[in-house]
This record gives sequence, structure tokens and C-alpha cells, in this order.
Amino acid sequence: MRIRNFSIIAHVDHGKSTLADRILDLTETVSVRDRKDQMLDTLELERERGITIKATPIRLHYTGRDGIAYLFNLIDTPGHVDFNYEVSRALRACEGVILVVDASQGVEAQTIQNAYLAFDNGLEILPVINKIDLPNADPEGAIAELEEIVGIPADHAVKVSAKTGENVEAVLEAIIELLPEPTGDPSAPLRSLIFDAVYDSYQGVIPFIRVFDGSLRRGDVVRIISTGKAFEVDQVGFFQPEPAVSDSLGPGEVGWFTASIKDINDTQIGDTVTSAGNPCKDIIPGFKPAQPVVFSGLYPTDSEDYGRMREALEKLSLNDAAFTFEPETSEALGFGFRCGFLGLLHADIVQARLEREFGLNLIATAPAVVYEIKTTDGRIRRIQNPSELPPPDVTETISEPYVMMSVFSPEEYIGGIMKLLQDRRGVMKDMVYHGRRVELRYEVPFGEILYDFHDRLKSLSRGYASMDYDFLDYRPGSLVRLDILVNEDKVDALSVIAHRDKAYEVGRKIVDKMATVIPRQLFAVPIQAAISGKVVARATVRAFRKDVTAKCYGGDITRKRKLLEKQKKGKARMKQLGSVEVPQEAFLAVLSGDE
Amino acid sequence: MPGITAKSGVICPAGLSETENTAGNKPRGPLIEHSGRSAGMPVKEPSHQVVPVSEPRSLYLHIPFCPSICPYCNFHKMRRNEGLVAAFLERLTEEAGALYAHFGGELDTIYFGGGTPSHLSDGELAAVIAILERTWGWPAKKETTLEADPLTFDRNRLDTFGVLGFDRLSIGVQSSQDDVLRFLGRLHRGHEGLAAIDMALEAGFNVSADLMTAVPGQDTARDLHTLAQTGVPHLSVYTLTIEPQTPFARRGVTVDQDRDADDFELAHTVLHGYGLERYEVSSHARPGFESVHNRVYWRGSTFFGLGPSAASFLPVRGAIGERRKNHVIKAWLAGEPAEVLPVTAEDYLLEMLMTGLRTRHGVELDTLAARTGLHLEERYRPVLEDAFKQGLLRRVGRRLIATEQGLLRLDGLLRRFFQQPPQD
Ligand SMILES: Nc1nc2c(ncn2[C@@H]2O[C@H](COP(=O)(O)OP(=O)(O)OP(=O)(O)O)[C@@H](O)[C@H]2O)c(=O)[nH]1
Ligand code: SF4
Ligand SMILES: [Mg+2]
Repeated sequence: MRIRNFSIIAHVDHGKSTLADRILDLTETVSVRDRKDQMLDTLELERERGITIKATPIRLHYTGRDGIAYLFNLIDTPGHVDFNYEVSRALRACEGVILVVDASQGVEAQTIQNAYLAFDNGLEILPVINKIDLPNADPEGAIAELEEIVGIPADHAVKVSAKTGENVEAVLEAIIELLPEPTGDPSAPLRSLIFDAVYDSYQGVIPFIRVFDGSLRRGDVVRIISTGKAFEVDQVGFFQPEPAVSDSLGPGEVGWFTASIKDINDTQIGDTVTSAGNPCKDIIPGFKPAQPVVFSGLYPTDSEDYGRMREALEKLSLNDAAFTFEPETSEALGFGFRCGFLGLLHADIVQARLEREFGLNLIATAPAVVYEIKTTDGRIRRIQNPSELPPPDVTETISEPYVMMSVFSPEEYIGGIMKLLQDRRGVMKDMVYHGRRVELRYEVPFGEILYDFHDRLKSLSRGYASMDYDFLDYRPGSLVRLDILVNEDKVDALSVIAHRDKAYEVGRKIVDKMATVIPRQLFAVPIQAAISGKVVARATVRAFRKDVTAKCYGGDITRKRKLLEKQKKGKARMKQLGSVEVPQEAFLAVLSGDE
Repeated sequence: MPGITAKSGVICPAGLSETENTAGNKPRGPLIEHSGRSAGMPVKEPSHQVVPVSEPRSLYLHIPFCPSICPYCNFHKMRRNEGLVAAFLERLTEEAGALYAHFGGELDTIYFGGGTPSHLSDGELAAVIAILERTWGWPAKKETTLEADPLTFDRNRLDTFGVLGFDRLSIGVQSSQDDVLRFLGRLHRGHEGLAAIDMALEAGFNVSADLMTAVPGQDTARDLHTLAQTGVPHLSVYTLTIEPQTPFARRGVTVDQDRDADDFELAHTVLHGYGLERYEVSSHARPGFESVHNRVYWRGSTFFGLGPSAASFLPVRGAIGERRKNHVIKAWLAGEPAEVLPVTAEDYLLEMLMTGLRTRHGVELDTLAARTGLHLEERYRPVLEDAFKQGLLRRVGRRLIATEQGLLRLDGLLRRFFQQPPQD
């Protein structure tokens, strides 16, 4: 059977998952009964939020106009920048990509980033211009931008509407024509790469693999190269997108296997899997570990869940290789984990998956960037948590990470965007015109764009601007730690680092927000923001003046007890700080938008 | 819409001439055996020694009929019709018989509540009384109360109430202001409520009156003074509470939080001037005139409940006791067994805080420990210490008492106890 392995890549929302739907339809992969939109967004969270989070593989059969039966392995990938690590791993299972561009939006930041990822992996790129059904579609403009901005030939791009299905068949033909067939030696020893995995409570770790040489069938004994452990294969199969069992996986094929791998540490993403008896000569290079850029603390609301939480983190880290975690203790929140993420959305998704897939109830502290501290003794270290900042008298400099930010936008919004970047302490480095589109390049502190920058950019530009960034270096700044006091007690988990000129403003915002989200308590609770012990902003959670049921006679007793018990259960995502109940929202007060 | 209550939507089985006799309870001795009675919710075997509360000596009888339906009310009530009252009396006979056969005993207090019990005719009241006469005996030894609406009696009828054996009347006055009464959907006028109190006092009854506060448009101070000036020795002062699914809730009536708190403080100040002391969140009395019956609820004693939606707290073997909640009229008439809720030692502990702290008497720590085998002070030490420090609770001898501030915010304080895992 002839094989084609490819990923669909694009900027967020350009229609990857919808195009995958049409391809599934054309190849009659899914029965009419099971059909739904964005078929490959299988996670509950993906469906709820309408975005792809996980790369999802699926096997399809297609007979081309040349009369030959082909086996396609398609991987739908996420477009959001936070999930880029998913794309980079998916690409390693492929020989080519479909690069989708929304004809009404043109080339955007992640179009470029993802195209370069494909380049770097040596993959063939098939450009597809999508959404040609839209009245403001400009397919020719998109093609020109692909050539001009991305620098790839695009005159052969296929113009489609994934929504109506128009011309999608041409994409299938182009895949056959343009994307290379995998090469591999069926008689060589097994050589395969784990590019993803899930943990199943019955079957243990289920690695997702791409076979390069040799083959894999049930009963084979395989060795995981990094750990040296050998396992007997229980089952092998492919994706439908649910796992389906097959006899074997041959060279060029993508699939999964189970081998009762119960210990999560026995394997890792990026591992080479080979035959135990007849190992392959060269190991497949693994993945560059993801570099988390924002960190936040995750704590179980019920401290008894700590052990369960550790297990959940380990299991989830198999399926999301991009986040990191290590134990952390907070005076206010107890035992928890400092977790690293690729961005705010990623942090949000990890928390949501831990809660849903593992039944945990968590409190997250505000995400922060990593700072570099030079102390007076000349030592330099990086801190992931603002509360670790040493006292000012021994701190020589605090440096913060800078990024090179590029913003793509139609010309008319450039003024507003430049003002926004300036407010965020950005320094302009470059401005390039591509037709009516402008690319702005700014050096800006990462901490300044972390929270609401993207939202502001989108609203300033009516959704037309897109952004991307690369890390530059650490630069010293006039930074201070802002401590938050609840009821006169400093809450370590709430400390943030801010620029001195903005500290007052940030403190004001945090205390005001907290005072509105913390429910009324028995007593008025002061919320204060302080720098080096000096209070710079203050707000008050109002007290209940009266909070007592009017009547409590014979029949009311049970009712009242049940009510109080229910309120106790409803305490999810609330943490008791001293005598004050603090909801999750309060910990994220710093994230709330300006104005 | 006669016969239909807004809350439960239960249609009164008007014209139902027959009800099934399902009272199959056989005498079994004073304590209920637990097995099989707790509706699939077995009581956990306590690891500590619990002492069942003693047998009930109080009885509450729910008479669910009202002359009209008030828009704020969430009691189980309905308009009456002859067939319904007859069915009610018939079922009541069975229920009382079965319960008495089980427990026997004599009663210290009896309370006819509702609904509006005085909305029954003299003959119907006599029929209810006859049921109790045949069982526990009538009247109660210490206190026999009838809830009465000002429009349901005159001087003559008061004599009848006395002859029937009632010694205490709880009169639903609610306000002395006509506009407030109209807003509350009450049929009487201000002067009629006041006259009702005067008459009842004159007739020699121990009298209590209900007053509502925080009603939009109400001059609460005036109401408090006017009612206290009648010389009534007991006043129940309730903040208007918007209960879900009542017409007020649907109309979006709200109670101003500050008004509520102001009125609560005002009640204390004004009534204190008349020698009426707050001895429970909503109850004010001249010393010696506190409700004997209600104390049973607040001190965690057992009591019988008869009638639709009535609650009981009964002793059981091997546990503190169990609470039972009768069904509303239709199911109750059909003889469906009451909902049974076991009470563990821990539940009881928290219930005693819930109710005991409402009273000036407070919670008797040693009595509680003796009954539950649990020591409140150890189990909830951190919450208690905080509360002492914050001036919400104080300890007087071996009693735990809410301070004025603590009383004002009792629900918030209780939430802390419910949230804090007990320390073994
Ligand atoms: N009009 C029109 N809308 C489309 C077309 N293709 C996709 N859409 C819409 O565009 C939105 C985004 O589509 P998705 O398929 O979820 O986009 P995606 O690229 O998978 O998004 P991410 O995975 O989150 O990056 C949806 O509302 C689709 O219905 C098209 O050809 N025409
Ligand atoms: S009279 Fe009493 S029980 Fe009847 S409806 Fe009014 S408030 Fe409710
Ligand atoms: Mg998608």
C-alpha cells in the first residue's frame, strides 16, 4: 500500500480541523451517524472552546485518480502559539504538511512560525488557501503573501472552502502528487519514534509511534532505548481517531501499541522503540525539551489531594509533554507544585484537564515569568516564583526576560498598536511593509505582554493583527516585588514582580479586583498591596452586617444543616486563608484586564 | 386557586372520601429499632459512646389550613374544604395512634402551628383535641399553644379556646401599620391585630405576637413601640425573608441588607426598654415568659410531629436519634411513611451549635459531651479560638454563648464549623 503522512498546520482558526472534516467525508472514514464538526477535536475542552489543543492523528484510505489505493495518515494540529510543541512533535511523524491559509486573513504570525517548523524538519509544504467562500476572501492576496512573506512557492496552492467542501478533492490529489512517499526498510530491525502517548488505567502507557524501519506486531518484545527496559507487545493498532487494533505496523505507518507499561517513567516522549532481540543501529533523535516560559503554582484546594495530584501530573505529562512541574510549598496554600507552561492558555488548559480528567479541585496562582537575580555577593540565579525574591538590601539587580515581538497588522491599526507596545515598555526595532500589511518588530519585556496584551491587540485591530515572539535575553530593570496582604497577613502566593513605575497601578488593580471577588465575610477584611513593607494600595472586603436565619424551629433544623453542608461542598476553588475564604479568581487578580 | 399551594403544587385531594389505612406500626417499645427504618441510610456505627436523647415530651401539630395565602410564606399550607379537613382528621387519628403506641408518655408542651390552626372551627379543634386526649392526654402539663390569626377570634371564641384547654396564644399580628399589612397580603388591619392582643391578654392567656421587620415602607420603630405597649409578654420579631419560589421571590421583592441589620438592632434596643429581652435570635420575652415549647428545639430534645410536613426528632437505639419529616398533604394523607434522617453524634454536635447558639442560654458543653461522647472544644478548637478572639463567642461557666456580634453573624460563624474538619 502506498502511504502519505502529513500534518495540517496553520495559524489559529484558519480552518485546519474543518478541512480535516471534509477530508474525512471524502474518504468516508467516519460513518454518517458519527459525523460532527471538528471531528478530530476529541477532548471535551477542545469542543467547548472551539480550538484544537492536542495534535490528533487519523488513518484514511483514498483511491486516487490514478486508480491506486493510498493510505493516508493525517494529523490535525493546534494553531495556537501555546501548543506549538504539539505541532513540532507531530511533524516528526510526517513527510509533508498542508499549510492552510485563511483567504480572508492572509498570512499571520503562526502561519510563518509553523511553515518554518516544517522547513526545519525538511518537510514538503502543500499550501492550501481556505475559506474562499467568504465575501472578503482574497485568495490571490494570500498566495502573494505566502511567496513574499513566508518565501515559499505558492502558485500551485489549492483554493478551497473547507466549509462547503468546494475543491477539497483537489487537495487529496495534490497530497498524492506533491508529498513524498515514506521510505523505510521492512526487513531492517524495528526503528520507531514515540511522538505522543496517553496513560490508560488498564493498559498503562500507550505510546503513539511512527515506524521508520522494520515492523511491529503483537507478541514482539520491544526495547525502549532511553530506559533500556523491554516489554512484550500486547496490541498494536492505528487511529480512527480512537485506537483501532490491527495485525502489525510497517515502515512509514503511524499507530500505537500497548505493552503493560505501568510505570510512567519507563518511557518518554521522543524515545526510540526498537526490537529487543535485534536492535536498530542508530537512535532517532528525540525532541528538544519544551522550554516553559511562564510559571504558576497549582495547589489542591483540599490538601489531602496532594498525592493524587502528583499522580495526575505524571499521567498528564505523558499526554502533554510541554509542561513541567516540581513540588513547591507556600505558607498560604500548603503543598503544591510549581508548574511551567508555554503560555497562559496552556496554563489554563493544563489546570482544566487536571480538574476534569482527574477529578481534582485546584487553586492556581497568577502566572509569572522567570526572573534573573544578581545578589550583592555576585551570584546569579533564576527564580520562578516572585516570593523567592531575596530582600532588597542583598539584591543587586533583577533582570527580566525580553522578547522580540513581531506583529502583523493591516496598516490602519498600526498607530494604536505602536502606542500599546510603547505602554508596555517596548522599543521599536523594525517596520516592514508587505503590501497593505505591516510587520512591526519590537523588543519588549515578556512580563508586559503576558496577561492581556493579546486581547488588547485583537480588540485594537478588530481581530486582524496577529503576533509572535522569540526570546532574546535577560535585561536588568527597575523591578520591585509587590506583596499582597489579606487581613494584614502577607500571602506569599499572591506576590508579583512589577516595574517600579507601574507598581502602584498594578497594586491598585489587584486589591480592587480582590475586594470584589472575595465574598463578604464575618468581618471587614483589608486587602493591601505593599512594596518593601510600605502599603501602596488598599481596598476592603465589606463585612456582613447581619447574617443569621430568622427562623429555626423543629422542621428547619435538618433543612438548615443540609444547607450548611451543601455550602461546604460548594467550596470548590476556594481556599481558606486564616479566617478568610478566598476564591480562585482572587489569586488571578493581576490578570484582570486594565480599565 | 383554592386547593393549590404555590410552593408544592400539590393539589388537595378535595372530595377524597377514603384514604388508605397504612398505619401498620405495631407497638415496639419506646425506642425505634434502627434496622430497616432509615430509608436505606443506615446510621454509621459510632465509635464513641452515644446516649440517646430521652423520650419526647413535646408535640407539634401542623394544621395546614389558611383563610388566605400570604405571598412571602413558604410553610406548607392551603385553603380548606370540608372533605380535606375530614380526611386530615382521619389520618391524624391514625398517625397519633401509631406514634403513641410506640412511645406512650405524657407531654409537657403541645403546639398547634400552621397554617392557621385557629382557622379550624371549634368542632374541628375539639376533634383534634380528642385525638390527643385519647393518646398522650390533654392539655400539656406546662404549655399548650395555639397559633391564631387576629381575624379568627373574638372575645367569645377566646373563652372557647380557654375552655378547650389552650393557655397560650401566638397571634400573627405582623405589623400595626395598614399599608405594611396590605403589602404582606394579610387580611386584617393594624388596629384589629392590636385589639386581638388586648383581648387575649384580658382573657388571661399567655400571649405572644409575631412582628415582621425590614418590610419595605415599614416604620419599624413605631411598630415595635406600638406592640410592646400592648403589654404583650412575648414577641417574635422576624426579618422578612424572601424564600425561593414564593410569590415575593418571583416578583423580585428584596430586603435591604442595611435595613435588615438596623431593624435587628432596633428590636433589641426598643424592646429592652419594655422589659422584653432577646433570648433567641427572633424571640423577645419578659423574664419567665420564654416559650417552653421552642426551647425543646433549641436544646436538642426530642419531640413528636403530627400532620403534613411536620418534623419529629425521636430517640433510636444505638444512635443519638433520628429526625423524621412528614410528607406534604397528599402523600401524608396516603399514609406514606415519613422521610427518615439519621442523626450521628457529629451531626448532633453541629445541630446543637446551630440551634443552641441562637439562644441566650447557649450550648451546655457538658450535656453535649455526655450525649455525643464528643468534645466540642477539642474537635473544633481552632474555630472556637478564633471566634473567642474575634469576640463572636464567649464561654460562661460550662456554656458556650454567642455574643451580640456573634448572634448577628451566626450563619457565617456556623459555616466555619461546617468547613473545618473535626479533629479527632
Ligand atoms: N466560511 C468559512 N468558514 C470556515 C471555513 N473553514 C473553517 N471555517 C470556520 O472557521 C472557524 C475555525 O475553524 P477550525 O477548523 O476550528 O480552525 P482550526 O484551524 O482547526 O483552529 P485551531 O485548531 O484552534 O487552530 C470555524 O468557525 C469554522 O467553521 C471555510 O472554508 N469557510
Ligand atoms: S397565614 Fe401564616 S401559614 Fe398561612 S399563608 Fe400566611 S404566613 Fe403562611
Ligand atoms: Mg483545529
